[in-house]
Amino acid sequence: MSRMSQYADATGLIERSAAAFATAIPDSPGDGFFGPASVAWRVAGDLASPVAGLRSLMVQALHPLAMAGVDQHSDWRSDPVGRLAATSSYVTTVLFGERGVAEHAAARVRKIHEHVTGVDQETGRPYAASDPQLLLWVHAALVDSGIVTCALLGDELSSADADRYVAEMTVAAEIVGVPAGLAPSSRAELDAFIESVRPQLRCSAAAKESMAYLLDPPGLDDEVGEIWQDIREAAVVSLPEWARELYGYSAPSLTAMRRTEIRQALGVLDAVYLGEPGVLEARQRIMLRARSARPA
Amino acid sequence: MRRRVPAAAVVVAAGAAGLALTAGLLRRRVGRLRFERALATVQLAARGGARYAGSAPRLFAAAGERREQLRNDLAMRTADDVLATLGTMKGVMVKLGQMASYVDDGLAPSVRRTLSRLQDSVPPMSAELAAGVIAEELGARPEHIFAQWDPEPIAAASIGQVHRAITRDGQAVAVKVQYPRIAETMAADLDNVALLRRMLRITAPSQDVDGLIAELRLRVLEELDYRREAENQRLLHDYFDGHPTISVPGIIDGLSSRRVVTSELVTGARFSELADWTQEERDLAAETLYRFVFRSLYEVHAFNGDPHPGNYLFHGGGKVTFLDFGMVKHFTDPDLLPLMAMVRNLCVENDPAAFRASMEEAGFLVPGAPLSDDEVVEHLAVFYELVRKSEPIEVTSDYATSVVRRFFDVRSPVAQYARIPQSYVVLQRINLGMFALLGDMHATANWRAIAEEIWPFMQAPPSTPMGRAESAWRAAAAGVSRG
Repeated sequence: MSRMSQYADATGLIERSAAAFATAIPDSPGDGFFGPASVAWRVAGDLASPVAGLRSLMVQALHPLAMAGVDQHSDWRSDPVGRLAATSSYVTTVLFGERGVAEHAAARVRKIHEHVTGVDQETGRPYAASDPQLLLWVHAALVDSGIVTCALLGDELSSADADRYVAEMTVAAEIVGVPAGLAPSSRAELDAFIESVRPQLRCSAAAKESMAYLLDPPGLDDEVGEIWQDIREAAVVSLPEWARELYGYSAPSLTAMRRTEIRQALGVLDAVYLGEPGVLEARQRIMLRARSARPA
Repeated sequence: MRRRVPAAAVVVAAGAAGLALTAGLLRRRVGRLRFERALATVQLAARGGARYAGSAPRLFAAAGERREQLRNDLAMRTADDVLATLGTMKGVMVKLGQMASYVDDGLAPSVRRTLSRLQDSVPPMSAELAAGVIAEELGARPEHIFAQWDPEPIAAASIGQVHRAITRDGQAVAVKVQYPRIAETMAADLDNVALLRRMLRITAPSQDVDGLIAELRLRVLEELDYRREAENQRLLHDYFDGHPTISVPGIIDGLSSRRVVTSELVTGARFSELADWTQEERDLAAETLYRFVFRSLYEVHAFNGDPHPGNYLFHGGGKVTFLDFGMVKHFTDPDLLPLMAMVRNLCVENDPAAFRASMEEAGFLVPGAPLSDDEVVEHLAVFYELVRKSEPIEVTSDYATSVVRRFFDVRSPVAQYARIPQSYVVLQRINLGMFALLGDMHATANWRAIAEEIWPFMQAPPSTPMGRAESAWRAAAAGVSRG
C-alpha cells in the first residue's frame, strides 16, 4: 500500500475507454479474425463485459511473473487510465478490426514484449513477457472471464457456444505470440490449463496493490464511482474460490435480487458509456454488420 | 402599461402552485436554451408529423434516403432487441431524460449528453414487431383489424411508436403501440429505488429526492399501462367536448388496450411553426394553453404532466389540439385547497401572514422558518407576479432568466426552507414546461383577468372574446347536464 500514492487517479476512465472503443471499431466492414456470427462478438457485447474486464485483470495479476512484468515495466501507476484504455483498444481491435490492423496491433505488442524481461523479486524467478506460458495465462484469464461473467450476469453461453468461443479465441493468442496449437481450444482444455498453472499463482505485493487500486479507483465521477462498487462486487463474486482466497476477499454468492441490481447498475454504466462521443455510432456499425450477416 | 415578467411566473402565479414547486430544481436559467433542448427531444412524444428520420438526425453521418435505410436496418426486430435497448434501467433513464429536459437546467453537460444520446439510441420497432404487438393486444394482425395500416411509424412515442391507420368505419386514427416486454422490465427497474436515488441525485441535487422518486415511480408505472392514458384522454375529451378552442382527440375504445391506444388522427401546425405566425395568433394560442391548464386543474382536477411542445397541434384562431395523456396527475380537494388558499391570500387578500400559513400548510415551506412574513412574500411573490395585478403582461424568456436566477439562488434565505411535496411534483413539471412555451411565444394577455374567470373562488365574468365563447360553452354544457 505504501506505493499507492504513486498512482495517478482514474479521472477520465469512462471517456478514454469509450474513445478507444469508438476508434477501434472500423468504419467499413472488412475481413476480421472474428465476425458478426462469432460467439466472441456476442461476449464482447454482453452487458457483463465491464465485469469480465475487471475479473480478467484480477485473475491475470495472480501470476507473479505476469504481474512482475507489469509492475516493473509499465507506466501503469502514472497513467492507469491510459493503460486501461490502451488494453481496451487492443482487445477491441483484435475482436472487431480488420485482420491487417489487428495483426499490426499485435506486432506492436510483441515488439514491446521483447523488452519486458526481468526477475520477479518475490519468487526470484526470471521472466520474459514473450514467454508463451505467460501469454497463455493472460489469454486464458480473459476467455474464462468472458464465459463466467456472461453466465453470472448476462446471457449464459450454451456449453457448445462456450467451446466455440474458446476455439474462436485461439487466434487472439496466436497473433500475440503463442505458437499455433498451444492455446486451449475447448472449455475443458481451458479449465485444465488454468488448473495446471494454479500451483504457481500467488497474490504478490504488486498484485495486491494494483488490484486495491482497480477495485476502488480514486477520481471517478460520483455517479460512476458508485456504480463501480457494484462492478467490483460482481467481479469478486465471479472469481474462482481459490482466487478469492489468494486475495483474501470474501463475497457471498449473488441473490437473484442482487444480480438484478448489479445488472441495472451495469445498464446505467452502459448508458453513460453510450453518451460518449462515437460510441453509439460504433455500436451501430457493429449491429449493421451483425444484421447483414444474419438477416432476420 | 405593459410589463414584462418572467415566464416562470406565469403558471405558478395563476394560482396553481407556489415558488417552492420549482425551488431547488431550477438552479440555473429557464428560457430559450432549455426550450431548445426540449425541442431536441420532441421525437419522444411527438405525434402525427414529426417523422423519425427528421427527429434523430444526429444518429448517422449519412443523409437522406441512406439515413432512412439505416434506420430500418437498425430497427428493433424482437423483444430481446427491445430489452437490450431499453432494459436494465435504460428505459427508465429515457423517461428521466424527458423529464429532466424540462426541470433542470443545472444538469451536468455529460449527464445531459448521456440522456439525450440514450434517446437517440432507441430505433423504431420493425413493422413485423409492431404488427406482432397489435396481434397480441387486439387479437389479429393490423391488416385485419384496420381497413388501412401504415407499417411505417410516423413518430416515436414514449416507450412506443405511433402508426397511422384507417378504421373499418373509415376514420383516420393514430395508433400508439408499446414496445413488447418493456412494461415489465421498466416496472422492475423502478423497484431499484437506491439506484434511482443515485441517478436523480445527478439530475436534481437539492431536490427532496425520495418524494420525487416516489411520485415519478407512480407516474411512470401508470404511463406503462395505456388503458390509463385512454381513460384520462377520454375524461378530458368529454369535458372539453364542444369547447370553442380546446380539443382533445377521442379514444377508439374497441381498438385500445394495455399496450395499444387508438385515437382520432389530428393534423395541425407544430409548435415550432408558430414562429412564423402573427403575434396575435400566438397570443390566442397561448391563451388557450393557459385556459386548458387551469380549467383541467380546477374543473377536472387533472393535470397533464407532459407539457411537451410536441403535444400540441395548432389550428389558428386560438384553436389547439392537446395530445398525449400518458402522465396525468389527478388531484383531490385536499391537494387543491392549499393551492387556492395560497393564490387567494397573496393576490386577492394581500395578506402575507395568511399566505405564509397556506404555504406551510401545503408543505411548500418548512413551518417556523426564521423568516419574516415579508421576506417570504418578497421571495415567493415574484412567482405570482403575473396575476397580482390586472393588466396585460408579456411573458418573455429573458426576463424569466434573470428573475429565476436571482430567486433560486441557493443562497436565498428562503431556499433552504422550501420543499416540494410529493403530490405536486408533476404540477411543477408542467409549470416549468409552460413557462418555456409561453415565454417562447412572447405571449401577452391579462393573465389575472383570465385567472379570475377560472379561480373557483372568483368565477369572474369573461374578460376576453375567447372567455365569452368559453362561457357560452359552459352554459350550454351545464344546460345539457341539467337536461
